[in-house]
Amino acid sequence: MSRIGVFVCHCGENISATVNCEKVAKVTGELKGVEFSTDYKYMCSDPGQTLLKEAIKEHKLDGVVVAACSPRMHEPTFRKACAEAGLNPFLCEMSNIREHCSWVHPKDDLTTEKAQDLVRVMVEKVKKNKALNSIKVPVTKTALVIGGGIAGIQAALDIANCGHKVIMVERLPSIGGHMSQLSETFPTLDCSQCILTPRMVEVAQHPNITLHTYSEVESVDGFIGNFTVKIRKKSKSLDEHLCTGCGLCTTKCPQKKIPNEFERGLGMRPAIYVPFPQAVPNKPVIDREHCTYYIKGKCKVCEIVCPTKAIRFDQEDEVIDVAVGAIVMATGFDVLKTDYFPEYGYGKYADVIDGLAFERLASASGPTQGEIRRPSDGQIPKKIVFVACAGSRDPAKGIEYCSKICCMYTAKHAMLYKHKVHDGIPYVFYMDIRAGGKNYEEFVRRTIVDDETQYIRGRVSTIYEKNGKLIVKGADTLMGAQPVEIEADMVVLATAGVANHGAEELAQTVHISYDPYKFFAEAHPKLKPVETNTAGIFLAGACQAPKDIPESVAAASGAAVKVAALFSNDELTRDPLVAVVNRSAPPVYSQCVGCFLCQSVCPYQAIEREEIKNRNGEVIKTLARVNEGLCQGCGTCVALCRTKAIDIHGYSNQQVYTEIMALLND
Amino acid sequence: MSDLIKKVTALLNDKTINAFIGYEKGSADRIRAIFARTEDQAQKLVLNAFCTQNLAGYLMKHEVKKLGKLGILANVAALRSIMQLASEFQIKDGEVYVLFANADGSLTEFTDFKSIETFLQTTDTGIKSEEQEMIAKLESMTVNERWLFWNKEFEKCIKCYACRAACPMCYCHRCTTDVNQPQWIPVASHELGNLDYHLMRAMHLAGRCVNCGECATACPMDIPLNLLTYQLINPIKATFGATAGMKADAMYALSTYKPDDKENFII
Repeated sequence: MSRIGVFVCHCGENISATVNCEKVAKVTGELKGVEFSTDYKYMCSDPGQTLLKEAIKEHKLDGVVVAACSPRMHEPTFRKACAEAGLNPFLCEMSNIREHCSWVHPKDDLTTEKAQDLVRVMVEKVKKNKALNSIKVPVTKTALVIGGGIAGIQAALDIANCGHKVIMVERLPSIGGHMSQLSETFPTLDCSQCILTPRMVEVAQHPNITLHTYSEVESVDGFIGNFTVKIRKKSKSLDEHLCTGCGLCTTKCPQKKIPNEFERGLGMRPAIYVPFPQAVPNKPVIDREHCTYYIKGKCKVCEIVCPTKAIRFDQEDEVIDVAVGAIVMATGFDVLKTDYFPEYGYGKYADVIDGLAFERLASASGPTQGEIRRPSDGQIPKKIVFVACAGSRDPAKGIEYCSKICCMYTAKHAMLYKHKVHDGIPYVFYMDIRAGGKNYEEFVRRTIVDDETQYIRGRVSTIYEKNGKLIVKGADTLMGAQPVEIEADMVVLATAGVANHGAEELAQTVHISYDPYKFFAEAHPKLKPVETNTAGIFLAGACQAPKDIPESVAAASGAAVKVAALFSNDELTRDPLVAVVNRSAPPVYSQCVGCFLCQSVCPYQAIEREEIKNRNGEVIKTLARVNEGLCQGCGTCVALCRTKAIDIHGYSNQQVYTEIMALLND
Repeated sequence: MSDLIKKVTALLNDKTINAFIGYEKGSADRIRAIFARTEDQAQKLVLNAFCTQNLAGYLMKHEVKKLGKLGILANVAALRSIMQLASEFQIKDGEVYVLFANADGSLTEFTDFKSIETFLQTTDTGIKSEEQEMIAKLESMTVNERWLFWNKEFEKCIKCYACRAACPMCYCHRCTTDVNQPQWIPVASHELGNLDYHLMRAMHLAGRCVNCGECATACPMDIPLNLLTYQLINPIKATFGATAGMKADAMYALSTYKPDDKENFII
């Protein structure tokens, strides 16, 4: 016979305003197996918890039902209180009479009756509860950082400086990300590379950081504290230990006409190349797609000129397994492709470029050594039009969000242009100027007032070429939508920031959720901005949404703290609400027949094979076994098991069935 | 002495197998299964036009398993059953010695799964035309008509579980029907109990049924049970391109996910 205690909470007036809590306590107190019942204004308060603890001791309760708010809110509170009173915490259940009852119904007798039903259901469930013990799993104190942009660099350095090992994976031959492409940064106009490259070098030299460039994550298995990650190290066709980074091969490579991705196609690079002079690591890779040797089977000039004989044409991709305890996603963003803007002639006219290309033009290390020269003929443009919101906030382009960084970098571009071309006239077409941020608004003001940039509130409808000029047609909505036509020498589109290519596939590989725009989704938009819904995986930077540098860095440091907090314990304690395969007497041993349907369906690879052997060591039967460390208690295996051999602790078939029957058999 | 008897006698004598599952003459003109363990028992083996039962179901029976290494006389349905059981890790490669009876009475030996797979690729494994017609008739009914049709059929059910015993895919030690903590399926053979049982059986065989028809053959009340599971074959093939019992290492269509799976059934 059970001795269950029912504790009905008023939650101030949250519950008692519509539910008669005294009556709920009184009626459920008469249920079979209920030894004690009471109601209290705030069960979660200190006196409330004391009341619960005293009742457990005084009435020798062997089960507790707290009728209050959502278990997500206070189940840990009450289970802890039960444990303090000597009752196994998993013999305590919550009945949600707030969200499921008082908040959604008017004050009525029926509302009180529903609350009674909800409590009754839980009383029946608790009768079937079993005492369970928490599961402890070890933590691998190594973090994986995916992406080597400023966010990844910051996260890696912060974690490494906490004394933990970090493995950084970067898809490209060098770390640095988009920030390494930028000329100067708003709102202070400090040189992007000057502030970034010391950090890049620090990553390369940090004793706690292992860097894998030109590498991609192939698979992620396991769970918080215990991930196993396969990393594909793409072949660089180079022995990195022998290469000194002298760069002779890159100057001698006969294939020199490959559009340079780093320069946004404004310059050319050879087939064996270092993406940019400050690259980390500063060692070349062979682009096999364009290398003459890989295409035609002969050339090998680089091999001949290499003084240390470091070129390895037959080098193959290497796949390595690493064990990590936490993962930081810092894969960054991309900008909209040319095919989105036929009306602006982007991709058709050489002098219609995107913001990143303008960064390269303005950069001292760029293809023009920092002089603003238009790509088509190298002339200095005297009139330049910047189009903000090129794609952003435009449902027609499928991007309804604000890309956030464009207002600021467009102002910066106009300012940089004016600083370099004193007699030039910059125009900016904008929808709204969004300059929220420290010193941001002042910066935009300076562009408008001090640098005499013509800001026109309105959108550009079309751009076409006429007599060597780009005719930009738009409207000025502050002048009664008066048509505006500008004969420009060059147009810069502030194209929308979008999720990086491959983001969706990576999210699926890593098992995290993503939003409709393929940006990675945070666990809570306000209170868990750097966590994902997958425990142990965190977000940093613009892979989550468009972010500027300070925001990316802040998020990265936030993610790093989460990782450091996780690594501060040697063991993780987990709730034992996991699946279990039943056992029975020989010759059956278990109702499991070993069809392993559960194994194919388990999203956490938590099902293992267990062999039952006789005394001679012969295998009698092969069964499924649940790895408690991996199981997340999702119950998919339970639903699939035809013979009902798997059950979940705390949510067994019997318990759920009992709950339903309690309602139906009223 | 037929080729079959000679072959099986040789297999038993050289201990390749410990028992052979085949057909023997039963009472009257009936044919029944025999589990030949000795030369004398092997003499009773017959092979004629009445030998149509899918014997693969016996491979999973506890009493048969303990006889040792088994040989079996298989028809196409039995070969597919063996493939399906293999994909569910119930039979290991090389564990069962398979003799296939060709239409002309000659025998083909299969000692590994690969050869069975190859054979099945060029063999007609489809549903018989008269059964196809019945399915087409069922599919042409409105949902309500079909509901009434099946309810009327299920009314006859006496819950003898002969269908379950005959099915090569029903090999659980404990069927869901027999679970009583909680009692998922009402035991009594009333309207709800019968409906629950047959729906459960159909769902448990979705994507696994090898259309041998043993369930309908076994049913003493002549319920066309095979149509229930056959009807699930086409949608699963159309949606996931999967047919049960064709490959020993097949992944079950309803428990695995491929990125290019059709999602047209998700509302």
